[in-house]
Amino acid sequence: MSSDAAALKDADSPPDESAIERYIGHDEFDPIGTLALIMVYFLILVLMWLFMYFVEFVGNEPTVVGMV
Amino acid sequence: MSAYIDQFPAEAKVIRSAFYTSFIALALGAAFGLIQTLHRTDIVRVIPSEMYYTVLTAHGVLLVVTFTIFFLVAIFTWAVTTSLDRGVEDIRFTWSWYVLMSLGTLFAAVAILAGFTDRTEMSADVLFTFYAPLQAHPIFYIGLVLFVIGTWLAGADWFRSWWAWKQENPDERIPLPTFMVLTTMIMWYLATLGVATSIIVFLIPWSLGLIDTVNPTLTRTLFWFWGHPVVYFWLMPAYMMWYVMLPKFSGGRLFSDPLARVVFVLFLLLSTPVGIHHQYLDPGIAEGFKFIAMTNTMFLLLPSLLTAFTVVASMEHGARQRGGEGYFGWLGALPWRDPVFAGMALAGLMFAAGGFSGMINAGMNINYLVHNSLWVPGHFHLTVGTAVALTFMAVSYHFIPQVTGRRLASKQIALFQVVLWFIGMTFMSNAMHRGGLLGMPRRTAEPEYDFPFETAIGTVGELNAQIALGGVLLTLSTVLFVANMLITALNDPADDLPSNTIPEPLSGSEDAPLVLDNLKLWTAIAVVLVIFAYSLPLGSIVERGGLFGPGGDAFPMFIEFVEGTVFGLTGDSVSSLVNSPLEWLRAMR
Amino acid sequence: MNIHSYEKVWLIAAMLLIVGFIATITYGSVALGITMVDDSEETIDPNALEEHERFGDLGVHQTDSDEYDVHVRAYQFNFEPGSSALGTHDPIVIPQGSEVTFYVTSPDVIHSFSLVGTNVNTMVVPGEISTMTAEFDEAREYGVVCNEYCGSGHHGMEGLVKVVPEDEFHLFSVADVDAPESIEAGEETELTATIDNDALQTEAATVTLEIGDEQFDTDVEVDAEASAEATFTVDTSDLDLEDADDLDWTVTVEADSPATLEDGSTSGTIDLETDEDDEEADDEDDEADDEDDDPNDDDESTGDDE
Repeated sequence: MSSDAAALKDADSPPDESAIERYIGHDEFDPIGTLALIMVYFLILVLMWLFMYFVEFVGNEPTVVGMV
Repeated sequence: MSAYIDQFPAEAKVIRSAFYTSFIALALGAAFGLIQTLHRTDIVRVIPSEMYYTVLTAHGVLLVVTFTIFFLVAIFTWAVTTSLDRGVEDIRFTWSWYVLMSLGTLFAAVAILAGFTDRTEMSADVLFTFYAPLQAHPIFYIGLVLFVIGTWLAGADWFRSWWAWKQENPDERIPLPTFMVLTTMIMWYLATLGVATSIIVFLIPWSLGLIDTVNPTLTRTLFWFWGHPVVYFWLMPAYMMWYVMLPKFSGGRLFSDPLARVVFVLFLLLSTPVGIHHQYLDPGIAEGFKFIAMTNTMFLLLPSLLTAFTVVASMEHGARQRGGEGYFGWLGALPWRDPVFAGMALAGLMFAAGGFSGMINAGMNINYLVHNSLWVPGHFHLTVGTAVALTFMAVSYHFIPQVTGRRLASKQIALFQVVLWFIGMTFMSNAMHRGGLLGMPRRTAEPEYDFPFETAIGTVGELNAQIALGGVLLTLSTVLFVANMLITALNDPADDLPSNTIPEPLSGSEDAPLVLDNLKLWTAIAVVLVIFAYSLPLGSIVERGGLFGPGGDAFPMFIEFVEGTVFGLTGDSVSSLVNSPLEWLRAMR
Repeated sequence: MNIHSYEKVWLIAAMLLIVGFIATITYGSVALGITMVDDSEETIDPNALEEHERFGDLGVHQTDSDEYDVHVRAYQFNFEPGSSALGTHDPIVIPQGSEVTFYVTSPDVIHSFSLVGTNVNTMVVPGEISTMTAEFDEAREYGVVCNEYCGSGHHGMEGLVKVVPEDEFHLFSVADVDAPESIEAGEETELTATIDNDALQTEAATVTLEIGDEQFDTDVEVDAEASAEATFTVDTSDLDLEDADDLDWTVTVEADSPATLEDGSTSGTIDLETDEDDEEADDEDDEADDEDDDPNDDDESTGDDE
């Protein structure tokens, strides 16, 4: 952690650096929260898409169809 | 360690001017927005309905052209100078494009605002899309051209800086912010060819009476050749802020520099060959072309979906460094009381919702459900109206002190302002989406007809009330923003401004394959994709209707035409060469 | 370039999402048969619509037993037919259970033709003809709006599509009425109405004559795409003439049907040659005139409608 932490301190100090409790380097960071969050988003997208297409759209007849 | 104004005082002055111009446009545009929201919901009607469209044109042009693009040039100038750590090559050149853009805006604004008075014949009640045969006064079109040329010169200015820097640093990677500016500008040069051709070759000669007709499908298609990439032109500075600044304000670092480069390359390649998805319901364009445009559009989701991961991961990095724990608990460790962070994060959250309605808009046949309904402004008030606008306002609380050297007037009001925008937009946009699904049209002064709109849940009155309430909250939020900026600009100098730096990414540019920086290669591929996507549709449109259309008049006609020059192309139908694969599949069935 | 394994997971999920979206749309196109408005029609000169085979003959036309074409002109700021709210034009009336193809074009600027609350929605571009086929299974009314800004009166551009039960639908019109210009009060007279049937099958029409304060009905069978005559013999001595000096008449085909539009009725006046005229009778007659007037009919002076 230490070398990365030093690099960060060198590179920049965020506006409220005091709030930073620990420095996490590249290899120690697994964005598990991001994965969890984005999978929730994925589920919402799939469900909303199916609802919009098969309920809102297909159920909104009459619909333009090819000339039979 | 010093603020931007200390590092680049001359550049700070240009950037400041561009910011202020964009804020003036924002204030005016918001005022027009308030008139509209109250008019269309029939709460207060201060103008006759015929004038609604003048207001709407002004609202659209001032906000999505003037506000967004002046803000963009300010941000991009900051990004190039900061990340290359060098000033512009010639400040007079920098001022010249700023003046040209301002002049163009002035011309277009005069033409639009003249629509409010009967003292002059001049008007430009053509909305942001200026579809012919609706005609604007020539100075409207001339203004747009000057503005676009101004942006071209701005791009040249940034390329010039990069070129000079490269001579001195031949072996270094292009710094990420500069890389973002350059790829965005290449996309912009390519995209503006469409609108420039439409205006210079057809609309200006037509409005001057040199040619008597235009082909409405051709000018419309050329508009959307530019009209879709322009939404990414608005969005790219916001994306840059999310990649470059948001990690910093979260207390972390950008998760991945290489992926950020990949995302911007994808935007360069895919932003332009998709415009026909705005024309799914146009006659005169083969279904096959529409399907190709849809496929390209759907793949254009990829860079945005990747951005969602990378940006949220960067925020999570900040949150964990600040002590955040758990799968979702870390969200609480983010600096929500910082208006810059809170505004950007809320803007990103709204973009997730706007992204979904955009996915619906991208779908080809589902477009019958939503096309030109209130759903569409519901969508873009989430995207350009929040993802972009709220990000811009939030970062202004950081940048205005940086380029003026003055203390932010009120951080508390700033925080209240960004939250207010979020709440106002939630009301307005949600009701707009729902209204659109009922079939309520967009762009109309009085959505009141002889027949009722059938609602499954709620009532039309409830939807209107939400739209009006949202509109009022958004106006209030804009007033707070502009006032805060104005007082900041006149405030005492600050001596404790944070230094103007960009933190190093966790996974840096050394991990990015060299080919990502090969701008010539990406430009060439982008051009080829555009040729693939557009040559056949444009050829077919010209072949069907001729360069100057199958006839018709201008509305209103400003100058009687001097001479009639109508010629069309003949030959075998280009579109008959392109059989829709869908037709084939249907036949198989 | 190293990509975190979680981001790789997301990359795959995102690609699945994109492919899934394209697959859904393709399913709608192929399996549900939803087609897009396209370039299947030739271009048209927007300044010469009346010379076009379709737009020279606006309205509803039968093409097969349950198939109809509707030719609509969208212009600043009405649909013809369609804009019926202010009586400007007829509404579009089509039978329930039919397959209808709309042909829409514009002589001026870009409009749209959009049936509110449905997936029938198209841009209308001058020089191009938009075509859309849809099935109408429900007897109800649909509002039509122009949802593309087309000028300062854009918000007033609306219309109506009425889907009526099949047995109430017809394509009859009153082509002509042969009525005497004047008769002597108390005389017997004859009115002959020519009824056109634009349908592709023989149908029986009920023709109604309103004259004075009396009403006469007669049934006539009209061959497909042909005309037939309905004759009314009226003994004016049976009418309560009350010293009137003229006699108003109206001939209507299928008077009770919602498919009877402006061309479904014709009115006129027969002069009565009486012994005396006085002011009082004139006044009464004017009042009666107002009540009897068919609001859709401004062609009162003559029996010739077309």
